[in-house]
Amino acid sequence: MKIYPYKRLNRPITLRVTSVSLKLADGTRDQLDTSAYSTQQQVVALGVAGHEDWVSATIGLSATLPPGADVPDAAWSDVRVVAVLTDGETNVRTATHLTRDAEDSRDWSGSLEVLRDDHLGRASLAVDAVGTVDGVAGRSIAETDRSWTVDTVSDEPVGGLQLEVRKASFTRSSREWLRAYADAPWIVDTSARVPTVFVNTDVEGIVGLLNSSGSGVESKVRDLLVAQMATDVWTAVFHGAMGDLEVEPGGSPVFPTDWQGEVLREMLPDVVPGVHVEEALRQVHRRRTGDAGWAELQTRIHYAAIRRAEASRALGYAIRSLEQANRESEK
Amino acid sequence: MEIGEEFGPWLARQLKLAGKTQAELAEELGLTRAAVSAWITGRSTPRPTVMADIATALGTDLGTVHTRTTDTQAGLPVTWYHRPGYPDGGRELGNAAAFAFDADVQVLARETCQNSLDERLTENGRPVRVRYTLHELTGEHLDAFRDAILWNDLFPHYSAVSELAGNQKVGRVVDAGVRDMYEKGRLVLLRVDDYNASGLTGDDYADGKFAAVVRRQLESLKSGRSAGGSYGLGKATLWATSALGLVLINSTLSVPHEGRTERRMIGRLELPWREVDGRPYAGPAWFGRPDPDSPGAEVARSWWADEETVARLHLSRDSDEPGTSFLIVGAHDVASLEASGSDLDDDIVEEEGDEDTRDIRRMHKRLVQALGRDFWAAMTGGGGRLPLLEVSVRALRNDGEVVVEETKVDPSVEQPSRTRALRAYYDGTTVDRLTEAGHVAARNVPLKLPLSGGVVGGTLGIHQAVLLVTEAAGDNDRPINQVHSLRGNRMTVKKATVPRLPIGTNPFQAVLLVGEAAGEAAPFAKEAEEFLRAAEPPEHDRWGQTEELTLRWSPSAYRRIEGLTKEVNNAVRELVARPRRSSREGGEALRKALTVKKRPKAKVPTGPVIPVLNGLDATIGEAGEWRITAEVSIPRGDEIVPMAPVALLDVRSGGRPKLDWAELEAVEGCEVEDGTLRFPPGVRRATFRGATDVTSHPVRTALTRLVLELRAGKGE
Repeated sequence: MKIYPYKRLNRPITLRVTSVSLKLADGTRDQLDTSAYSTQQQVVALGVAGHEDWVSATIGLSATLPPGADVPDAAWSDVRVVAVLTDGETNVRTATHLTRDAEDSRDWSGSLEVLRDDHLGRASLAVDAVGTVDGVAGRSIAETDRSWTVDTVSDEPVGGLQLEVRKASFTRSSREWLRAYADAPWIVDTSARVPTVFVNTDVEGIVGLLNSSGSGVESKVRDLLVAQMATDVWTAVFHGAMGDLEVEPGGSPVFPTDWQGEVLREMLPDVVPGVHVEEALRQVHRRRTGDAGWAELQTRIHYAAIRRAEASRALGYAIRSLEQANRESEK
Repeated sequence: MEIGEEFGPWLARQLKLAGKTQAELAEELGLTRAAVSAWITGRSTPRPTVMADIATALGTDLGTVHTRTTDTQAGLPVTWYHRPGYPDGGRELGNAAAFAFDADVQVLARETCQNSLDERLTENGRPVRVRYTLHELTGEHLDAFRDAILWNDLFPHYSAVSELAGNQKVGRVVDAGVRDMYEKGRLVLLRVDDYNASGLTGDDYADGKFAAVVRRQLESLKSGRSAGGSYGLGKATLWATSALGLVLINSTLSVPHEGRTERRMIGRLELPWREVDGRPYAGPAWFGRPDPDSPGAEVARSWWADEETVARLHLSRDSDEPGTSFLIVGAHDVASLEASGSDLDDDIVEEEGDEDTRDIRRMHKRLVQALGRDFWAAMTGGGGRLPLLEVSVRALRNDGEVVVEETKVDPSVEQPSRTRALRAYYDGTTVDRLTEAGHVAARNVPLKLPLSGGVVGGTLGIHQAVLLVTEAAGDNDRPINQVHSLRGNRMTVKKATVPRLPIGTNPFQAVLLVGEAAGEAAPFAKEAEEFLRAAEPPEHDRWGQTEELTLRWSPSAYRRIEGLTKEVNNAVRELVARPRRSSREGGEALRKALTVKKRPKAKVPTGPVIPVLNGLDATIGEAGEWRITAEVSIPRGDEIVPMAPVALLDVRSGGRPKLDWAELEAVEGCEVEDGTLRFPPGVRRATFRGATDVTSHPVRTALTRLVLELRAGKGE
């Protein structure tokens, strides 16, 4: 629980994205459709238009302060509202002042300039209302409770982080390190910007199977394969994320802000059920760095990965479809 | 001056109405009976001075006697006429048209408001104004009203019906209605007034609006092509809403009848077959003045009431503007029971367990809701055109005590985004593509009209309907992603959710204007209007296969509507969603499996329970230390994990500096031992207090944010 040494507003600011446009390399602008962002998922996907050459994006914003922000006897004065875009990977933070729509309005609006070179992928966008409280300027009196995500790469405004999938011939790829794994059908690389699964095209038929959209036994086998791959991937990314934690002076781990944070937030409740994710992270970290318990935890990590991969469902369908096929052949 | 009928016959009828003989009149006038007889047979006419005396004797003014376009006010007293039982012994245990509806004020709102829209006086371009008044009567006000409707004459009929109650629906409803009035000592009147409408014009019996509403079943005299109703079923909702089956009517006519326009009164009662004092009655009854021309002068017809009578019947109208007032006596709203809890807010204080179908506050709310939902478009103007409709709802008790202030139904409150869309369309400010929140995109959608007369497959022409799509206005604008379809009368007919939208699609609202709603200039607007009207069932809630469609067009004609729906959904999807990208590396299934998304959490294992922080109060002490009082809640469990409270300072990124405790003491429900809280078994709630050690603070306390956490074990 967090507490401030001064009075502030209890309720959060609501933030809406109202428009998105891209500035292209040749100086022209492309006003994107409103489907470039999702107000439900709170995501802006700047990759939707398929431009390879955009330089910057302008995101129109509108924020509504909670009731009570503008009461005459408020403890704060000189209220300003700023939109802050934070990128945990590049450590770039961009802030823009919003302007009040009308004299007595709680709505503030403005636009945020996102430079493409400042970001690698997903940045989070929040709004803070700051004012002078007890003579100290710039104190935060309210903020958004749920940040928007600005994704400079994705072509679909969906909330969840998507791991990369790439096809490559392991024996002939320019990524020479893959050659060492030439006999593996797939391999997971967690050191990339976003964890990436390389699918070995040398294994004949694997790409066709993964791309198949038919029904019947083929699709069941595909789902089984996908479940198997996903189990591997989730196990690998969990370990990748755990092995790369920043540690506080007291020895406690800091929750990561990038994809690792998203992966951990999602998987930890299955690894250490019943506690807050922060506490779960501490427990897992203790076991990994401490003397005992790491080996015992592997079962839980494996369980979390299997759940995410929906392995039991895929297996169930595959078995049922096999049984059906057997019955038909008996007739 | 317009001269009515001959003096002789007119006078004869007035005498009959007043129940006077020629001799009695002669005596009052101080003349011989022969003189009166001579006037009646037309052999002579009275002198002007005598005319004045005749007027006095008949209780009317000189003008009426001179013009003779109407009957005098004098006459047989207003009474109830019950239709006698059929001579063949047939029994009708209720009105089939009324059976089609349950008592639901929302259905009533739709049907009555639609009727008012259809009867709007179009010449002056003004909207028709409709007002719903919920009026609860108790005590002396109830008694006075019961006297006014001659309750004592009606009561034997209600008793007779109650005896039949066990056997059939109408009887049970009526029985419950009467019992509620006596047991709770109250009666709810629901009044529906419209102004700037045509009123119930026409003769009492011959074809006309009056007879269509008052005398006949299933007759609709809607003239306009874009009229909403066409089944004549709508009026039955008036009686269906009355638990007593009783509706009183006061109409101001747009076209004079019998030389008058104001205060044409009639009442109609719908009861099942019954026997009272040994006489069988067919069912319906009318409240009016006995018609001297009818056999035995028994049939009740409408009468021109004076202001006092109208007031006693709670049917006074605000002005002499034409229109009709319907008074539903004993209104109830059975459908509200189902709806309660789901779409009503908590601000209605409900008595526990009392499911009341006669709560006027709730009815008020449901009326506003239904009117906003179904008629927002008719209430919306823009681009220099006035709305077609204005509606308000109010609730009163007894002598004008206001329960709910008169609420004007505001379309921009009830349907904010759609109203904005329609206004933008009227104002001509729509866009082709949605690029900014608040924009309204407009697009034409084709409706291929079939050839009429059973020709299969032929196309008469393509009507261009108008589709408007805009962003939904906030979280209360629900349900989202729906298309409201409407035609010429601007009533929402169809509400359909657009299927197969990708996840994360921004919530939107859409409007489809078809037929004459798409504008006079739209190609084949009239034909489309006619086609859709035929495809509209009595419930007015969809367009699809109907018998009329099959008869006038062809059995497959309804497929044209399916085609329209498909076009609409595609157009909406094009406007609000991006086309799916296919052929991505690795296949869709693998992509999906590798998306980090919320899943249901794993089951919490049994074992030691972990206390959580539930409340925190913190202040800065005199020495600059943080002083905290924290509340902990503990899940039910046998073994409770000891927790260490940890004070940290919040930072934007990186590790958070940890503060040391100077004091840590238990207040309630726990013990402090070496910086750790221990909880005795069975405790569900605990409180502790603490103060930080100022020497461990890296910065001035007033500039810090404190984070308090409970950590299991030692809290390292």
